[in-house]
Amino acid sequence: MRKFFPVQDLARDERFNQATNEERMADPRGTSNTGVIRKARSTNRLTPARPDATDAARSLMHGIMVGEIQALEGAGRTCFDFVTGEEAPFELKLDMARQCWDEARHVEISVKLSEWMGTELGQFVENTVLFAAACSQDPVLRLAGVNRALEGLAIDVFTTMKEFGELAGDPYLAFCEDWMLADEVTHVKMGSVWLRKITENDPERRAKALEFQSVVDKIFSYGGLRSESDESPILLARRFRELAGFSEGELTEIADVSLAALNERREALEKTLATSPA
Amino acid sequence: MKVTVEPSIFSIVKYDADEIAGVAKEMLTLLGMESTNLTIEVDETIAMSRVTTTMGDPVHVLAMSAAFENLKKPMTFSADNTKFSLGRGLLRVRDRLTPNFSDAPADEDLSIVEAATWDTYCVGRLSRLGLKVHKQRWHYNFRNRHGFNDATDKHFATIWESDDLTWSQLTEISRHAIA
Repeated sequence: MRKFFPVQDLARDERFNQATNEERMADPRGTSNTGVIRKARSTNRLTPARPDATDAARSLMHGIMVGEIQALEGAGRTCFDFVTGEEAPFELKLDMARQCWDEARHVEISVKLSEWMGTELGQFVENTVLFAAACSQDPVLRLAGVNRALEGLAIDVFTTMKEFGELAGDPYLAFCEDWMLADEVTHVKMGSVWLRKITENDPERRAKALEFQSVVDKIFSYGGLRSESDESPILLARRFRELAGFSEGELTEIADVSLAALNERREALEKTLATSPA
Repeated sequence: MKVTVEPSIFSIVKYDADEIAGVAKEMLTLLGMESTNLTIEVDETIAMSRVTTTMGDPVHVLAMSAAFENLKKPMTFSADNTKFSLGRGLLRVRDRLTPNFSDAPADEDLSIVEAATWDTYCVGRLSRLGLKVHKQRWHYNFRNRHGFNDATDKHFATIWESDDLTWSQLTEISRHAIA
């Protein structure tokens, strides 16, 4: 079986259309009311009170579903790509195998939730940035990029969706998101534990991994999707992230990076409009 | 019928003003609104699918860019999505042209519950006109605004299957659905 599978070769049927993060970043449009985008609403947080709440929740749920597929593919790859003992400890692979089981269950749940919310599979574009973060040749970088950055974002997303379900009175959404959230906290914790353990005597490798995590955090914050600002649809879930092993300093750094991503997108849109014909 | 699209050249999304005008004319014909003139303004800075209309001659249609978008390929045009988005907006216009909807608030003033109720009524009719619609999407939207229970589902079915409701009847059903 092939090792180190490239992101462009991910198998999907004809219902799905994939886009790279670069392609997604080329879309300067926003959904908030700040700056030049001022007409829509006073807050961009994903709550049922938003006029477009149902469609926004469906889109996010679809993003979760394809994200779960890629997380499953990524964790499976980490089980297989590295030589046991030499490149990755057996216990780490055992954790990744457990994560595969969780992600497979999350895919099934997300598919059911998508159908419940009236979404056809493949209806929205699939951003492959999640699996791209799982293509590193160093298992420690994968743990930093996937388990801590990616699964960290999943904590934020599931917390937002769970609250959305509770506020809307949707019993299935709130219940399912709560259960998946519990798994995500575990996945992040596994990343935190293994990152510390493997790099215990290798500060350079640890620094490199944390730097990679920071880069991935910024990529996942594209356009300010997640931050502590009301302009972002998804709120940074500090409490659950603390439970997952993030320090106060790390959380502040993620908040700063997310806000920077939001500002960058706003500036990009303002620039586009300034140069476009009236 | 006269249809004008603004902007005439798009700088962010890859839409064609003539193509949008063509789809709009097709929808006006399908809905029996051949004597209606339209100005369609597309706000290409916002990736939302909202469409609001303001009565007048021409009728002003304000569409956020995602209303006409191929969601599988962001920023590209989808004739099907455009048909569907314009169809919802134009059915509201057609309703407003009758005395039955004289007491309906302007699109901008509709509450999210009123908007979900009217959307249900419009999409149900569009489905019977042959447009491809995903009923569950609108059912979920209605539940989000009215509640997740059997009684709400019954009221959804009543609105979805109706062709000749008045604004008072729509709001009455909606009130019962929430109660």
